[in-house]
Amino acid sequence: MNKQLVAMDMNITNSVEIDDFSLDYFIGANGWVRILREVGLSIGRGEVLGLVGESGCGKSSLAYNLLGYRAGNSRIPSGRLMVGQTDVGRLDRAALDKVRGRRVALVPQNPTTALSPHLRIRSQLAEVLVEHGYATETTAIEARLKELLFLVGLTDTDRILQSYPYELSGGQQQRIVIAMALSCDPEVLVLDEPTTGLDVTTQGQIVRLLAMLKRRIGLAMLYVTHDLNLLSQIADRVVVMYAGSVVETAPTATLFAAPGHPYTRGLIGSIPNIRQTARGGLRLQGILRRSEIGAGCPFAARCQYRQPLCEARHPESVAIAVKHDVACHFWRDLPAFDPVPERLDARRGAAGKGEVVLEVEHLAISYKRVELLGRWLGRTRQPVVKDVSLRVRRGEIVSLVGESGSGKSTIAKAITGMIDHVAGSVTYGGSVDLGMLRSRPVEVLREIQYVFQNPDESLNPRRTVGAALARPISRFRKGLSAGERQELIVEALREVQLDESYVHRYPGQLSGGERQRVAIARGLVAQPKLLLCDEILSALDVSVQAKVIDVLLDLKKQGEIAMLFISHDLSVVRAISDRVVVLYKGTIMEEGPTDAIYQPPYHPYTHMLLNAVPEPGRVSAEGEPAGEPPRLDPAGCVFANRCLWKKGTVCDSAVPPMRQAGDLRIRCHHDLATLSELATWQNGERQAGAR
Amino acid sequence: MVGKLILTRILYAVLTLLAVSVVVFAAVEILPGDITTRILGRSATPEAVAVLRKQLGYDQPAVMRYANWLGGVLQGDLGTSLSSQRSVNEVIGPRLANTAILALCAFVLSVPLSLLPAAAQALKPGSLLDTIASAINFVLLAIPDYLLASIMLILFVVVIPVLPSTSLVTDASGFWDWVRALILPSVVLAISISIYAIRLLRDGLIDVLSRDYVRMAELKGMPLRVVLWRHAFPNAIGPTLNITALNISYLIGGVIIVERVFSFPGFGSVMVGALQAGDAPLIEATVLIAALIYITANTLADIGSILTNPKLRSAQ
Repeated sequence: MNKQLVAMDMNITNSVEIDDFSLDYFIGANGWVRILREVGLSIGRGEVLGLVGESGCGKSSLAYNLLGYRAGNSRIPSGRLMVGQTDVGRLDRAALDKVRGRRVALVPQNPTTALSPHLRIRSQLAEVLVEHGYATETTAIEARLKELLFLVGLTDTDRILQSYPYELSGGQQQRIVIAMALSCDPEVLVLDEPTTGLDVTTQGQIVRLLAMLKRRIGLAMLYVTHDLNLLSQIADRVVVMYAGSVVETAPTATLFAAPGHPYTRGLIGSIPNIRQTARGGLRLQGILRRSEIGAGCPFAARCQYRQPLCEARHPESVAIAVKHDVACHFWRDLPAFDPVPERLDARRGAAGKGEVVLEVEHLAISYKRVELLGRWLGRTRQPVVKDVSLRVRRGEIVSLVGESGSGKSTIAKAITGMIDHVAGSVTYGGSVDLGMLRSRPVEVLREIQYVFQNPDESLNPRRTVGAALARPISRFRKGLSAGERQELIVEALREVQLDESYVHRYPGQLSGGERQRVAIARGLVAQPKLLLCDEILSALDVSVQAKVIDVLLDLKKQGEIAMLFISHDLSVVRAISDRVVVLYKGTIMEEGPTDAIYQPPYHPYTHMLLNAVPEPGRVSAEGEPAGEPPRLDPAGCVFANRCLWKKGTVCDSAVPPMRQAGDLRIRCHHDLATLSELATWQNGERQAGAR
Repeated sequence: MVGKLILTRILYAVLTLLAVSVVVFAAVEILPGDITTRILGRSATPEAVAVLRKQLGYDQPAVMRYANWLGGVLQGDLGTSLSSQRSVNEVIGPRLANTAILALCAFVLSVPLSLLPAAAQALKPGSLLDTIASAINFVLLAIPDYLLASIMLILFVVVIPVLPSTSLVTDASGFWDWVRALILPSVVLAISISIYAIRLLRDGLIDVLSRDYVRMAELKGMPLRVVLWRHAFPNAIGPTLNITALNISYLIGGVIIVERVFSFPGFGSVMVGALQAGDAPLIEATVLIAALIYITANTLADIGSILTNPKLRSAQ
């Protein structure tokens, strides 16, 4: 309440005022293409404005324009980008150098690539202060650096300032970048997907940090993200963009409780919900294609409430309530937003009861070889995966979840034979002992297929989709006629809901989601019995994600394929898997049927992960304290130094036992009853929007 | 870790040098023509030949002679020139110094000559400036050194007679004589080094300039000079550093031709003279020195790139 009143009072002196702003790009054959269309928004002092939309909607273009940064082949046909009294759209480079970092600062998407690799943290931070004349004397600079690091929750200042970026974790690097942005007390902070690519627990810490900074410093923030749920944790108001136009602006709670625009409704409905609910029939259809957009409403082609007028005329933004604007001709006629949820796990269907396709027993993997000298000194190889056992049955999807560095991909690589294991066994089809890749018979190579995380890198850009799919056929299904091969290719494409017209296209002509589906089709065309999916959804928009999930669930229902699904996204995992394996530092923490994983008792680590998932209507609970966790005693539980439910010294001195209840296994010193009592994350339905 | 890497590099360099010495010695050994007949002439008596052979040590097996020679080299004694009967050290020493001065001048000139065009081109790839600069670059790339040298000679000696036609310097030459003598050869050498470096640096810089951290530096308000030289350049220099090493080796070859065109009394002319005279000790010494320079330059470049990589530098 208070916040809104403040924001209203500030209307006269908004920190950011974007007015009727349009942006064109010159794209070869098409001439000038409109990327942003008459965008208007404002951010008051101390306000966090969320900017959300799917990839390609122009949200990043808008954000970077606020820093006066745009590609050489662009022009501003209309509008103003006011920061205070300055129009940053009209400044030259010399003037921009005085605005950027000083008055408008950026927190970029990927901290690991945003810091100069060859410069120490100290010089990268100090140069901002020096170049902007904020602090010039060595002692003043040093004092300011320490102050900044404390502000972003980094206490080990001397070591960190002396470090190179690669010596810090992703979360620490993002804190450094935030400190860098705050260093000259800017008026406006532009955040471009600041937590995408970070672990969910780290994301929680960064969002809590930003919320704290908002309270303490009160600067205006533009928070750009594709993750609507994340905005529920931090934004005061949200602007929804579609194809370069603002379609809806609303206070965050209103947006979740009563979204006005059909696109917003579809966006909310498409997000895989960790509580397994979705709003019936509201998922987004189709994908954003700029070429399909005519003179009318940009969303018309995908809108289920489309009328002739929508394609003819661009809708004006109208205020449908206080501070709630919607750009839709028929906002009055839309059915009331239906909060009745549909259970998504119904779509998942029953777990397959087929035979065991893959059996991993006591698997241990280590990367580095110990050198001779080390061996004399009694050093052994540090395992990255320890004693992992799991089974995948035919018609079953088993998920491996955990933060980065938990060993998920390493296990998958060992199963495919790309890396060797030091102990344990990987058995396929009940009897075949899987060794390294080159020792495997062709038949086994065909039956185990791998889909990589990033289709941009796993598909050869110079080969058509047809050629990419023909390769596994000519390798594994020798002696087929050209016609039969073509048939197989088309069939595989249909399975991922792409038609034959895709055969002659190049990866560059496809959207990210289409590319990922081609990558899946390439896995399927070999007719595998085991499909390994390594984070295949993480780079995709929610509407595309939903589509790929459908593809995977359809495959599963056919009952022929066993899938090992690797993901860090607990919501997606819940939507599709029959069993879940929770990994931490290469060790299984918890394992069991999906429903048992998402209700008490939880392993403390599973609980921490669940709590870190942002949800509308739930303020992210107390998470891990910021900063480096204390040192880990190798004799004890691998999670002991981060555990919020630590039992006592026993956690440091002894490896916890595996406790079993039915099909659920939890590795913890606490007994299951205690774990149930400690749990605060409840599996109930939650009313969206209720703060 | 770094120390170990560097030591390994140095060890490799020494081994390579040793291998080169074997090859050089063997190559000179199988050169056509007997050394003694070449010195004494065809009409020499067999006795005289035998005496001379003994005197030069040619009565011993090749392996022994190699060992003796290598022993001498390791102690800094490169032998005696057959044609002038002076110590090889004496013959090569001052000439090597002359060439070192020339190479240094060329190298110093080549730094701005490669950095500035590369930076200007990389900042606006595809622009008119970039296109013209690239075209000039390709033309220069296609012109051999001696032709470039000859063109320069014609241009600055014949058409606009401001410089001397030969770059003959002696002990008696004064400072300005040196300057006038060095201008043309060092400019020609500098140009032929720079054209390779420009291309590599331009492409390296374009790649680095598109990186997130360079954009970040720009978006935190760093002026162009800081973005370019502090954030982008150090990351683009890596591959160029290795090329610079190759360039230094290239200088050795280029120097021979350029010294010849401008009649500069340097190391290159000694080398050519030794080959023409079939002066075995002198050939061996010059080739070995050339190899030493080549290998040292490459090893230094390797060590340089080890040291400029912070991941290697500070790993434990």
